[in-house]
Amino acid sequence: MRYIRLIGQFMRASALGELAYRVNFWLSLLHSLLNLGTGVLGVVVLFGQVDSVRGWDMAQTLTLLGVYLVVGALQALFIAPSLDALAGMEGEIHNGQFDFTLLRPVDAQFLASFRYWRPLALLDLALGLVVLAVALIRLGQTVSLTHLVTFLLMLSAGVLVLYAILLAFTALVFWHPGFFFTWVFNGLFQLARYPVDLYPGWLRLVLTWVVPVGIMTTAPAQALTGALSPGMLAASLALALAFLAGASALFRVGLRQYASVSS
Amino acid sequence: MNHRGGWALIKSTWLSWLQHRSFFFVLAFGWMIPPLIYLFVWSTAAGGQTIGGLTRGEFVAYYLALILVNQLTYAQTNWTVGDLIRVGSINTLLLRPLSPIYHTLSAEAAGKVVYMIFVLPVAALLALLLRPELELTWPNALAFIPALALAWALRFLWGYWLALLAFWAARADGLLALQDSLVFLLGGQVAPILLLPGLMQAAAVILPFRYMVGFPVEVLTGQLQGANLWLGFAWQTGWLLAALILFAVLWRLGLKHYKAVGG
Repeated sequence: MRYIRLIGQFMRASALGELAYRVNFWLSLLHSLLNLGTGVLGVVVLFGQVDSVRGWDMAQTLTLLGVYLVVGALQALFIAPSLDALAGMEGEIHNGQFDFTLLRPVDAQFLASFRYWRPLALLDLALGLVVLAVALIRLGQTVSLTHLVTFLLMLSAGVLVLYAILLAFTALVFWHPGFFFTWVFNGLFQLARYPVDLYPGWLRLVLTWVVPVGIMTTAPAQALTGALSPGMLAASLALALAFLAGASALFRVGLRQYASVSS
Repeated sequence: MNHRGGWALIKSTWLSWLQHRSFFFVLAFGWMIPPLIYLFVWSTAAGGQTIGGLTRGEFVAYYLALILVNQLTYAQTNWTVGDLIRVGSINTLLLRPLSPIYHTLSAEAAGKVVYMIFVLPVAALLALLLRPELELTWPNALAFIPALALAWALRFLWGYWLALLAFWAARADGLLALQDSLVFLLGGQVAPILLLPGLMQAAAVILPFRYMVGFPVEVLTGQLQGANLWLGFAWQTGWLLAALILFAVLWRLGLKHYKAVGG
């Protein structure tokens, strides 16, 4: 309960901080629209040439793009800003501010994960949902309730895996300060724009089980279009929990590794 | 002009960037991913057939060349120019007995060296894995060199004049992001120009963005013959002259308009 109240306070403080810069709002809107435009046009250009690739047609690929935008927006809403403040450029681990964070009477992982919010990412979230809605209309089929429930389950699993990987990559900074592990992941995450089936076999295996960006977007999109096997659903949920447990453990070990850099 | 001082600056920047190479490697990795995605998407879509006359192997060759050209022509320094003006630290540069262009050029040269150390081996490895098909002829290879040099100059100066708008508006970042998106869509990254749908293709031929990245790659891979080749060079030179004039005018007007803040 106390933690939920704290999250509310963090959100409020972040929103107030961002409201102070009006130009920033327009810039963010421009960025969101550009991100949307390049994504949609990329799909349009591809399917202007072919009808389907490895079983993915235009409507299904657009569904996946919608999922990608939604997951990316959730990442930008709180995961990325909070973890970035810790391990990013001039982050707290780098400049020693982390000492004060550790002194607070709240769980360190909780603070590291939920402290900073970026309300402007709600723009991306809205745009992603619009793409998703348009794609579903194009799909034509009435999406059944089971599909919707599996989709929400898979989306949660995807976001959990995303969070776990970013947390683990952030924890690595305790051992190797100054290297931006999360930037490496951000590069890989872009691969989630398209179904993993479009990549060569070796890369598909890596993207499904090692750095499972496939579980973040391909699997939820398949859940919506009804192409997801029940086995994959169970495996994904199990993988999400395993990643979460592993990342939390790594973060705790990392905390012990942390030796303050300031005074 | 103090060329000896300029050369010393270039050398020192280069050596200092090599010191922090892991940081730049991560950046280069991130920039490589978008063209890489489309390499996989198009070569998978082509499969055993051709799309727009291009085979799977030809798509691989096109995109591997594009990854290199994109990295060589990307003018990352344009982003810093806007910041220098906004924060006022351009004062220091203006006071040096050395044209400020050297500061930018030194970062350009340093960047190209450091990024190539990362990108060349990766591209070579990908070439081994993905078996590109490239029929390289002498005329194509020779025409590629001026096309690449002009593309670099155009992308650099085009971004530079946009960044100089920071003398009037506080930030030029939004415009630079817009340029990146247009290069992505119309510069041959989302698809080779000849695969774009009608209106986009017409826009790509007329606007400057294709001549920053896609054009040299088309020249190298032999997609352009006879009149089209010369027409391309004409457009490229024309846009370069336009960029040069805009840069010169804005630099003069901007310096007159500029009132130092801090530094």
